[in-house]
Amino acid sequence: MYRQKYVFLLPGLLVLVAIIIFPLLFTVRVSFSSWDVFNPGLDYIGGRNYARMWADTRYWEALGRLSVLAGATVLIQYVLGFALALLVWGDVRAKRFFRVLFLIPMMTTPVIMSVIWRTIFHESLGPLNGFLRAAGLSAQPWLSDATLAFVSVMIVEIWQWTPFMFLLLLAGLMSLPREPYLAAQIDGAGPVRTFFQVTFPMMAAISVGAILIRLIEASKIMETVYVMTSGGPGTATETSSYYIYIRGLRDFQLGYSASLSLTYLIIMIISLTIIAKVMIRLLVKDRT
Amino acid sequence: MAEIQLANLAHSYNPTAPTPAYALEPLDMTWSDGQTYALLGPSGCGKSTMLNIISGLLRPSTGRVLFDGKDVTAKDTRARNIAQVFQVPVIYRSMTVAQNIAFPLVCRRVPSHEIRRRVDHLAELLEMTHLLRTPAVRLTADQKQLVSLARGLVRDDVSALLLDEPLTVIDPHVKFALRRKLKAINAEYRMTMVLVTHDQNEALSFAQTVIVMNHGKVVQAGTPQELFERPDNEYVGYFIGSPAMNFLTAHVKGDQTGLDGCDSVLGVPHDLRETDSLKLGFRPEHVDPVKGDIQLKGSVRKILFEGVDRVLEIAAGRNLFRARLDNWSGAVGDQVSLRVPAANAHWYVNGNRIGQPVTRLAP
Repeated sequence: MYRQKYVFLLPGLLVLVAIIIFPLLFTVRVSFSSWDVFNPGLDYIGGRNYARMWADTRYWEALGRLSVLAGATVLIQYVLGFALALLVWGDVRAKRFFRVLFLIPMMTTPVIMSVIWRTIFHESLGPLNGFLRAAGLSAQPWLSDATLAFVSVMIVEIWQWTPFMFLLLLAGLMSLPREPYLAAQIDGAGPVRTFFQVTFPMMAAISVGAILIRLIEASKIMETVYVMTSGGPGTATETSSYYIYIRGLRDFQLGYSASLSLTYLIIMIISLTIIAKVMIRLLVKDRT
Repeated sequence: MAEIQLANLAHSYNPTAPTPAYALEPLDMTWSDGQTYALLGPSGCGKSTMLNIISGLLRPSTGRVLFDGKDVTAKDTRARNIAQVFQVPVIYRSMTVAQNIAFPLVCRRVPSHEIRRRVDHLAELLEMTHLLRTPAVRLTADQKQLVSLARGLVRDDVSALLLDEPLTVIDPHVKFALRRKLKAINAEYRMTMVLVTHDQNEALSFAQTVIVMNHGKVVQAGTPQELFERPDNEYVGYFIGSPAMNFLTAHVKGDQTGLDGCDSVLGVPHDLRETDSLKLGFRPEHVDPVKGDIQLKGSVRKILFEGVDRVLEIAAGRNLFRARLDNWSGAVGDQVSLRVPAANAHWYVNGNRIGQPVTRLAP
């Protein structure tokens, strides 16, 4: 019955296969080959790439570093973004101006801004150390000290993506109903209580959404690391995607980097699902 | 609990404009302690504006609000100690029912044993003791509205309880029970209650005094019976009562007044000018087949079934009126002769009731 429907479904299915399924399957296939710059081609070497990955501490360290980086920056972005959104939510002078101003970092190109920030952090010529010296503090090796370099990358990441949180949370705030606030006022709740009992519970669902989107995006961090530190000093700022980039495009070990990517994908899917579930359980109470 | 006085109160959302548009036109009114009031009017008539001014959510552009003689116009909601229930049920999503009800007391740092005592007592009164531990988000709309109400009642020192169309989102059969609870609360707490509504049945059955509003103006304030029997103007006559009041156009000839479809000749009200429009107003409920001084004749155009009663729409010349009769049997097209007691009919000149009685000159 209605066999013709497949004719109409076919274009869509073909596109789906071409765009998503084929590249994915191809990656799976490549990950079982030893394709590299010396031996290009699809041979079959079994799970040797995966065994190598298992022993590759540099990969797992990068993954751990990424979790810290993404988790910390997204959390700080959330807090800052929420604070900024609350600031320009009410009746503030020139709130339109501030609303646009806060969005500017998000609109800039990550590569260019990373170059600018690298210049700002520059040890001898950068303005940041200039300010520190002017304030009577000692200059810091921002990009050549392991901890400071990590902090620098975090700062740039937060600077660039707080506006995104700001935007989503402001949209959420502006869609909130008025009555709960009137009721809170009548019940005698102060601003702090009003925030924690009225605003925050109503913003829980959109918060979960915003945090998840940012976690997914933050996990792909690449340009900032590439431009600012190139993963250095040593491997101090190397994240998963940057390490995969090194193995795949610099060392041209296609087979190995394919296995790294696949593992990365699976880990991300599992961990983000768990994170989403936990956040919904904790924050969005009416879904229980 | 307090007496609420509105002194020369008015509100405009653009008070600085050369001709400000008033959401609420200047008015003086006193609401006594422990009474129930209803603000009745269509959407946008200014009743919510009035309520928000009393609760302090809105500052009036002119005039003063006094609670027990004390000027509270400049004070915020918190200082006025008012309770308000909104059209949409408001609950604190992260709390249980008990925590919700206790919230106003927690904000005011009432000792916890006292909080527990009052919450328990109130839950019993509102028949929701079994729900106290339930998370508030799991309640149904009417239960949530009860929680909103309970939050207003839990403070025993509130000046007044303001209800802003609280029953709109509630199912009709639950509405009745909720209204009964409101009355029980008023009986127990002797609390000044102000109900805002656009539903005349709700207003008439709830309040001791009903204030009818239209276009930012108080059109008439009085007991439900006054509003029903002696509407001050055509607007109130149309707005209150179902079906609405009848208004028949009258024409004056010398010292006699005639109505289309009316056999009786009526006296002319004094001081009537030629340009005035004169109408005779009476309730469909006051029309009777036999009793009454004023005789009306016409043909039945429509019959509406309302249980024991029938509401007839009758064409009498160019006039059209409705009559509510019990156990009437007949059909569309029948010629009927009906009567209205002169005491239940009123003259309306240019839309407003004049105090003079309707007199019959000839049969």
